[in-house]
Amino acid sequence: MYSNFDSNKIIKRRSFIAILLTFIFSLIISIRLFYLQIINAEKYKKKSKENRISTKITPPIRGNIYDTNKTLVAGTSSNYSFILFKYINHNYYDELLRFNKIILLSSEHDASYSKLKAFNSYSPYILIKNASWDQIVLFEKNKFLFSSIKIIESKKRYYPYKNFSQILGYLSESLDFKHFPKGAFHIEKKFNHKLKGEPGKIFNEVNSLGKIVREIHIDHPKKGYDLNLTINLLLQDFCQNQIPHKKKGSIVVMKVSDGSILSLVSKPTFNSQDFEDRNTKKINNYFSNIDNPMFNRAFSGFYPPGSVFKPLPALLGLEKNIINNDTTFFCNGHTVIDGYSKKFNCWKKRGHGKVNLKKAIKESCDVFFFELAKKIEIDDLSKLATEMGYNQEYDIGLSNMNKGLIPTRKWKKYTTGISWGRGDNLNTCIGQGYNQTSPLQLAIHYNSIINGGFYPKPKLLKNEKTIILGRKIHPDHQKILLNSLNAVVNEYGGTANKLSRTNPNYIKIAGKTGTSQVIRIKESEREDDYYKKKEILEKFKDHSIFVGFGPVYKPKYIASVVIENGGSGSSVAGPIAHEVLNFVNKLNV
Amino acid sequence: MFKDFKSLLSLNWPYIFLIIFIFWIGEINLFSASGGSIDPWAKKQFFRFLSFLPLFFIIIFIKPRVIFNFSGLLMIFIIIGLIVTLSFGLTGMGARRWIKIGFFNLQVSEFAKIFLVLYLAKYFHNLDSKGHLEFSRSILPVLVTLIIFFLVAAQPDLGTALIILVLGSAMIFFIGIKIIYPLSFIILTILFSPLIWSFFLKEYQKNRIKIFLNPDLDPLGRGYHIIQSKIAIGSGGLRGNGFLGGSQSSLNFIPEKETDFVFSIFAEQFGFIGAVILLILYLFLILIPVINSFKINNIFIRIAVLGFSIKLLVEVVINISMTIGLLPVVGVALPLMSYGGSSLMSNMIIFALIINFMSVDKKVKYFK
Repeated sequence: MYSNFDSNKIIKRRSFIAILLTFIFSLIISIRLFYLQIINAEKYKKKSKENRISTKITPPIRGNIYDTNKTLVAGTSSNYSFILFKYINHNYYDELLRFNKIILLSSEHDASYSKLKAFNSYSPYILIKNASWDQIVLFEKNKFLFSSIKIIESKKRYYPYKNFSQILGYLSESLDFKHFPKGAFHIEKKFNHKLKGEPGKIFNEVNSLGKIVREIHIDHPKKGYDLNLTINLLLQDFCQNQIPHKKKGSIVVMKVSDGSILSLVSKPTFNSQDFEDRNTKKINNYFSNIDNPMFNRAFSGFYPPGSVFKPLPALLGLEKNIINNDTTFFCNGHTVIDGYSKKFNCWKKRGHGKVNLKKAIKESCDVFFFELAKKIEIDDLSKLATEMGYNQEYDIGLSNMNKGLIPTRKWKKYTTGISWGRGDNLNTCIGQGYNQTSPLQLAIHYNSIINGGFYPKPKLLKNEKTIILGRKIHPDHQKILLNSLNAVVNEYGGTANKLSRTNPNYIKIAGKTGTSQVIRIKESEREDDYYKKKEILEKFKDHSIFVGFGPVYKPKYIASVVIENGGSGSSVAGPIAHEVLNFVNKLNV
Repeated sequence: MFKDFKSLLSLNWPYIFLIIFIFWIGEINLFSASGGSIDPWAKKQFFRFLSFLPLFFIIIFIKPRVIFNFSGLLMIFIIIGLIVTLSFGLTGMGARRWIKIGFFNLQVSEFAKIFLVLYLAKYFHNLDSKGHLEFSRSILPVLVTLIIFFLVAAQPDLGTALIILVLGSAMIFFIGIKIIYPLSFIILTILFSPLIWSFFLKEYQKNRIKIFLNPDLDPLGRGYHIIQSKIAIGSGGLRGNGFLGGSQSSLNFIPEKETDFVFSIFAEQFGFIGAVILLILYLFLILIPVINSFKINNIFIRIAVLGFSIKLLVEVVINISMTIGLLPVVGVALPLMSYGGSSLMSNMIIFALIINFMSVDKKVKYFK
């Protein structure tokens, strides 16, 4: 068949359109080429010359971190690796065998031929990551034997003291060449902008083969700023060892005058160095361990404070004129409120008899505070708590800070849907119930008592300005509270009186014991000797809390100790706090 | 199935030499792209060329009749191949574009272009139409084009997909659909383009277009290619920096210089004069078959040759336009010069078909 004449004609006609289009396109391209290559040739020639200069970025050295006595706790170390570059020499495998003969590769770094062959020629193959000094010397002696194996220096962060990990945090891996490692946790993260420094640049002139002809200009990298912590290495180590074996807990030691945190310990802990060494096995364990070593209990751990909280409702009672120094209640071991079938028991079953405020704090009488609780308004207590340091987050450079909770009516209604009950008042006033406070907050609360209501914001950096928070409390009220806290330790019958008697030559301290209930055990059993000896399942044991300060007549240091599932405050946390305060007083920082 | 050996004499030998000449320019260009070394590109590309030569000559000697008969079947194979690529293909650079056959990673979409042309040519040949193509008759070709378009676009390979769309539409246009249809389509597209911009384009696609319009928006990312390529071409000036004299190319400032940006390397070394001469060579490569096809009174051959020329035209224009900043960067190879096996193979098949079709005796009756 011959194709139709008509359509042939159309095709022919339209083919001319195609030819025309071809010419038009060619013309457009030619005009554009003319514009680029003739009209703007000079401009692009200049730009091309600028392109001849290649820049190389050199990483800065990260700032060091020191403790309060200028001991290095985080620094940068050099690290040498043996690297094989396949593309330099085709006989790289023979070289490797020679290398293996001279410097024995451990089985971990063993490079099989097949594994090497599959590896990209242009990527560096790491033979040994942290070369030892001996290996480097051996290699240097036999250097002439190798052309494709080289020693490469790299910088690495190092953390000599494990006990600082919970404060320093760690760095995250750099994902590409453009970015250098940056802080991922705690101080390293918060002050990354200060520590990181500025990268330098080397401007090289390169020839047409890309080889460097000469260095034109070098911008040296700027080292990051150093940080000086308020933490004392000796104290930090001492505190870490004070927490009993196999127990979890935390200790905060703070300076009364300016809020400097001298020690901040949480157990169990992780080791920052493992993150820098990319020890994946250990890192995975840190995150999966049920004891949660990544978690710093000193400021992220929130517990009901127990009796340690009592000075706060006492202060509210004094300020609202509900009680005064002479107000007494009668403790017969329990109290009742209308409409509640349950009795509210004092920890002492037989009761304390006639109790005034001082005796109530000294002997930790619950009934006194129950009676007080009946008369106060919970929202006033929460407001006062906020003024005295609770309910607040302190941005001191650590990750995972939290506010905690001293409840209000609104909070309970909003969270549980149930209205505030009168019984809640009673539980809150003895530090149980919904209260959630961190050891750091407890230390701050006691600092506010010592400083007459004003307290310095806690700080971890030495050169940080001291910021005063809080509000004035009446000197008389302050005096009553301090007297009572003194009596706890130093007067016969005080819950922590044992401390002054066991170690009479230690520093004289004042403080308050607390026992934070994990489950409801009969109230009468709480601070009873019987209970202390009783074997209860470890995880159901109460948290043992003690906040103390010393020297007693001119307080310089506060220690807040929480031992999880430790038992009663007087038996476990108290002695630890005494040891710590005695130690820090001798250090005299 | 095969032609006589005598037909060797009637081959368009000047055209064959033109192909070899342009390929040779490409080889020299690849040699200079690697800074004056036959490794890693020039040598490999040359061996590819040699290994494709037998196929090239076999195709030249197949009778057009046989090709005509098999075009429909081949189209079905291609569609199956594209579906296989989508489901089992090798993944590279975020797209599934290749299937592995023996040692060879085959990019099926390259061959889709060839067989779409042959299939459409056969379809129109069989239509036996008078005058303009009726609208109803154009539905099937439009449908097939769209299917292939979407299969390739889904890989995703928007560059190749768009070429297929242009190719299909151009062929439907050249067979003689009334000018009103494509015209109204274009006008509608222009009218609705603000709507397409705001509703259909994804953010990254908009960014690409914005960066194309103003490469300085992203000088280290997407704009980098365009900026560096323009510097290379512009610095070539009138006469160029001479063979191996291009600093941009040898200093690796141009990414993908061996594939999409070969023209930049060439223009930097040989300047405006070289670039225009190269353009003229491509002009011959594209127009010689079209002009030759006028002599042949067979719709299949005419449309097929026209289609192949359009394919070459579109690729050359898009590739060069993108290196000089006239079009946004899409991955389109420059025929015969870009490094890459699939592109070279499909282009050699196309040239073999063109030479085959150009050499038919116009007095012989074909097909029935």
